[in-house]
Amino acid sequence: MDCFRTRPSLTRFARTLLHFCLAMLSPPAVAAELVVHPSVPEHDLTVNMARLVFTMRLLRWPNGKRVKVFVLPDQNPLHREFTKEALDLYPRQLRRVWDRNLYAGSGPVPVEVATVQDMARLVSETPGAIGYLPNDFDIEAVRVIHVK
Amino acid sequence: MSNRRLLSLVFCGLLVELLRSQAACADVFDDLEVHGFANQGFVKTTANSFFGDSERGSFDFTELGINATIEPSPSLRLSGQLLSRRAGEMYDGSPHVDFALADFSIRNTTVDSIGLLLGRIKNPLGLFNETRDVAFTRPGIFLPQVVYYDKVRNLFMSSDGVAVKWNLFYDAANVELFFGVGKPLLDENVEHGYLGASFAGDLETDGVAYITRLLVETPADTIRAAFSIAKTSMGFQPSLLDPIGNGNVDFVYGIASLQLSIENWTITAEYMREPTNWDGFTGSIFDGMTMAAEGYYMQAAWQPVSNIEFMVRYGEGFADRNDRSGEKFSRLTFASVPAHTRYSKALVTGIRWDVSSNFMLRAEFQRHKGTFILSSRENPDPVSTQPDWNMFAISASYRF
Repeated sequence: MDCFRTRPSLTRFARTLLHFCLAMLSPPAVAAELVVHPSVPEHDLTVNMARLVFTMRLLRWPNGKRVKVFVLPDQNPLHREFTKEALDLYPRQLRRVWDRNLYAGSGPVPVEVATVQDMARLVSETPGAIGYLPNDFDIEAVRVIHVK
Repeated sequence: MSNRRLLSLVFCGLLVELLRSQAACADVFDDLEVHGFANQGFVKTTANSFFGDSERGSFDFTELGINATIEPSPSLRLSGQLLSRRAGEMYDGSPHVDFALADFSIRNTTVDSIGLLLGRIKNPLGLFNETRDVAFTRPGIFLPQVVYYDKVRNLFMSSDGVAVKWNLFYDAANVELFFGVGKPLLDENVEHGYLGASFAGDLETDGVAYITRLLVETPADTIRAAFSIAKTSMGFQPSLLDPIGNGNVDFVYGIASLQLSIENWTITAEYMREPTNWDGFTGSIFDGMTMAAEGYYMQAAWQPVSNIEFMVRYGEGFADRNDRSGEKFSRLTFASVPAHTRYSKALVTGIRWDVSSNFMLRAEFQRHKGTFILSSRENPDPVSTQPDWNMFAISASYRF
């Protein structure tokens, strides 16, 4: 009897595991959009310029204001989506550049925020700020810019 | 030594002052960033000593660091790091200033940028020297020892002086040129490394060190290539007790590096050569000696998922590239220095697990032939070292 009982639960477990694996493999439902504080003069960025910004090489906007970069944690799906799709980089490559800046004093590092809500708030409040948000995130206090 | 301690004290004071005043005038120190890291390793070897009494199993591998950065103006950044490092008999963990510098951004556009650095600057040699004490940035638990010696690490780690960094941003690549001049930091490990033992007299810097690196990176970081060179010299003044005469050691330390990142793979290869010239040292074996140490490795790392990495590395290193078997040197010393202490060949395999973005675990197995990478400070009697040995190591690292 017991054997018969365990079997459906095993099947259920296998199915859950399969769903979990598929969910891990499938691309995230939302795309990331580059957002800036309204004071930022730029309306679009080339991929290379976006990379210069996120690798902390471009420190000032053309109007002289300091570039303030905000990011989500490395493992965050939106961060990975943004890094891969917008910058064509892996999170580990960005991390390597930031680590070098941080632990050798050779440059600034981005501000890491925990949630997209924090990201939206900080980008909207900080002059010169740049970050990214899900494209279905409704907020008027930031401006969306495109990567050409 | 007292000089260094004074610097640490000043830096500690500055750091505390900064943290304290941050509360008082929040807007001036709005940009104050404080970060740190900690790493604890365990090393077990089948023979010989590496980072402590590893034959029995050693926990004498601890790294602690804290750094602070402020940006008083958009074109000036001040940053510093305190480091405490315990590494077997080589380092006892007393804190020292790892770097403390002012970075003036002279020019910064989408075409190029020029930065002027003043202070204690980390030498950007090869791909890993700058951040060699931060476990998260290393390609394994230990850096490939045949290129980045830990036994004489201080010599090329950082220098007190001035440097210029020029970045050129092209569509096809970013090019970084670094040129620095400064005073290197010597310690007893350097004496062991270049004179074979510790003497009552002092080995001191004799002039300055020149450090230069050309780094080319494709925009998506698919290819990173670098060529780095450091050049310096040291002078030795014996005391009355020393059996050897005064002398000078001149050397050049050059590294050629290449890294490819394709999908989940990272392939890294580096080649090092260090031509060294001993002048003087009457009464020692080094009297008038010229030789070039050499080392190279290749590593493949694979990330099947974003937080797990497997790696395999093979490397070889030689004290004298014209005597790779070490036989010549051994004969010269009437076998008091066995040939196997003059070379190292190692196959390394390891796993890295980033449990979270702040916490990392690693495990590594190393199969060694030769003992060139070992410190004579930890293995004072060369004859009793074993040419065939294995190492198992694990480490836990945290950062904030």
